Amino acid sequence: MSAVAEETAGAGYIRVEGLSVSYDGVTPAVTDLDMEVRKGEFVAVLGPSGCGKSTLLHVMSGVMRPQAGRIEIGGHAVGGSAAADSPPIGYVFQDHRLLSWRTVGQNIAIVLQAAGVSAEEINERIDRYLEMLHIDGFRDTWPMRLSGGQRQRVSIARALALQPAVVLMDEPFSTLDEVTARLMRQQLAELWQESGHTIVFVTHSIREALFLADRIYILTKGPARVFDVAEVPIERPRRYEDPKLTELEGEIVDRVLGVWGIGGKP
Amino acid sequence: MALTERLETARVEPASRDRVRRAQAFVVASLIALGIWQLATLISDGWVPSLARIFTAFIEDATTLEVWGQIWITFRRILISFSAATAIGVVLGVAMGLSRRITAFFRPIIVMGLAVPDPVYIIVAILVLGTEESSGLIALVIALVPFVVNIVAGGVRARDEGLDEMSTVYRLGRRRYIIDVVGRQVAPALLAATRTSFAFAWKLIVLVEAMTQPEGIGAQIYYSFRLLRPDHMISLALLFILVLRLVEGLAFAPLERKLLGWMR
Amino acid sequence: MTEGPKGLARALRMRGGASWLDLVLGAAGLGSLVLLWWVGSRTTTFVPGIGEVFSALPQFLTQEEIWPDVLATVRRVFGALAIAMVAGFLAAYVMHRGGLWGMVVERYVSIMLGIPSTIAALLALFIFKRSEVGVYFVVSIITFPFVALTLLQGLRAADRRLDEMAAAYRLPTMAHARHVAAPHLIPYTFAALRNEYAHAWKVVVLAELFAVNTGMGARFARAFDRFLLVDAMLWLIVFMVILLGTEYLLLLPAERRVLRWRGSGKEAPA
Repeated sequence: MSAVAEETAGAGYIRVEGLSVSYDGVTPAVTDLDMEVRKGEFVAVLGPSGCGKSTLLHVMSGVMRPQAGRIEIGGHAVGGSAAADSPPIGYVFQDHRLLSWRTVGQNIAIVLQAAGVSAEEINERIDRYLEMLHIDGFRDTWPMRLSGGQRQRVSIARALALQPAVVLMDEPFSTLDEVTARLMRQQLAELWQESGHTIVFVTHSIREALFLADRIYILTKGPARVFDVAEVPIERPRRYEDPKLTELEGEIVDRVLGVWGIGGKP
Repeated sequence: MALTERLETARVEPASRDRVRRAQAFVVASLIALGIWQLATLISDGWVPSLARIFTAFIEDATTLEVWGQIWITFRRILISFSAATAIGVVLGVAMGLSRRITAFFRPIIVMGLAVPDPVYIIVAILVLGTEESSGLIALVIALVPFVVNIVAGGVRARDEGLDEMSTVYRLGRRRYIIDVVGRQVAPALLAATRTSFAFAWKLIVLVEAMTQPEGIGAQIYYSFRLLRPDHMISLALLFILVLRLVEGLAFAPLERKLLGWMR
Repeated sequence: MTEGPKGLARALRMRGGASWLDLVLGAAGLGSLVLLWWVGSRTTTFVPGIGEVFSALPQFLTQEEIWPDVLATVRRVFGALAIAMVAGFLAAYVMHRGGLWGMVVERYVSIMLGIPSTIAALLALFIFKRSEVGVYFVVSIITFPFVALTLLQGLRAADRRLDEMAAAYRLPTMAHARHVAAPHLIPYTFAALRNEYAHAWKVVVLAELFAVNTGMGARFARAFDRFLLVDAMLWLIVFMVILLGTEYLLLLPAERRVLRWRGSGKEAPA
């Protein structure tokens, strides 16, 4: 399994075609959605709360089955019968989803064990990725002893340690306080610059999307369709307060105000 | 003003005060209970056995080897039926807690199982299986399983479903999922189910034995009743209850500490 | 599209979006019990056939003599349960207040939790001979400690924040009791009632078996003694229909209506 992971770690690219998903077989969450993500790209999926963008990630990770359409990651169809052979996917949830009865290190280990990584390799990766996320002293700490921001770092470290083809992030910073969130965005941007993972990042914050992404898929209110795709031509490293970001933010707000309605978040 | 005063006094109460209170409470409770009993003896003109007679009978029973032999027989039966019921109930309960379909199938069975009075199970078991020892025990197991199932299924259902998703996304696999993710969350419910199962088992075995076998403490209690020896009926009952509550205390307290240690 | 199975589910008052498949599975579950019965009637000498029992049912129900016994049992259940609920509430209150008497009551409740119902029945039979009081005694003694425990849980879980709010707004004691304390206890009362209702029915049968000559439990036992197995099954069916019927048609809807303010589909803590 780790050989596959190595192989596809650079090869992942994502294709979504005509995706339609409904919550319970009746209410549609996503309608006829197309999306393409190049290898190593950082793509944001932007939409108002409850528009189905999380559902999109669920289907991409193989947890949910779509009613129509298909998704390919690295050439492998997602959710097919060969699901076990398809490249591993790292997923960072909005709420950390760590096992509170395992230490930080054990939380990462259990996921790597399931992927068939050897014991020494696991050990080495834990150290490496904890360091990358600036939490290397916390390997033997219980998750409940950590702050929200630290727990999300563990969650990210867990995703990255899998050396996945793709990292899916579902509003990972939306539950953190503003200062911590800013710091995390900064460090995520830096980390991505070095590692070059393919990342699909869901958010409802226009600014966050502009700060982090190469391209932004802007979705409509639920059921979600792609409303527009915005390129973010700003050079990296970016500054969160950059006036160019503010300008682009204004443009996007103007474009979506009608589409997202009063419920949309500027 | 009054609030701060109350807080002050609350903080000042030391633990030793509490222990004294407990001892006092024990004494008061015992005196009242014994007093009422003696009163009952007087009112009933000796029909209700006096404390002295009960005490004598108790000493006699506690020092008779046969009595302990009977207790052992009963205890053996309790262990067999409680383990079987717990095992079956846990498996079924976990299955039900994880799958809505399985719950849908078994729900009417469990509901009806809880509604059937225990004597009925025993009588039906005898009719179908004959008068061996196993009939009564099988009836007991069937009576206990629905309770275990409910507790365990409830515990499984109360799990964090976000972790289910995480397990699927990270492909942890069925075995790891059940042991590492669900298992730990379900541990308190498992413990509760085991305690309940044991508690019900020793209470119901008395009924089983009173209705069926010539052996076992329940049967002895019933015989004492039939032979109009209330002093022994009560003393045997007391002996049995004391022994079993002791076992409950000794067996489950350390188990609870061990299993739930990570929670503290 | 939403009629048909979903409509039926709604009519049966199922919660949580019961689907057609769930209903079928439930029916299959019941069916497997019936199958078991059928197999039992074929393979053993004593279990009566299903057809036999059900064809005798209409005549059984129209017999006048069965209803006094049914009523007797119902009376006992409701009476003893009422005693247990009141006593349980008082006990929980005293235990919650703590102090010497709180601990005394705690001791008693704890001891009474540990009394096997058979022993209580034999004791009652001995003391009260064959009388109504004996049955009431047994059922109350057995169910009362569980009620007390549940209500104590409720008292202990009282939401301090609401109490603080009440203090901040200087709510008078009666208003506090009525609008804060009582509503808080209602779910726990229902939980206690629901659990001990079924419990009481089972204990009453046991008590009647040992202690009296009237009531469903006594008739059931007599039917078995005389080897009238069809009658015994009929009594069992009547018993279960009444128990399950009252639970699902009386208790559950009442509970749901009273707990409306908590949001739909939420029931009292188990």
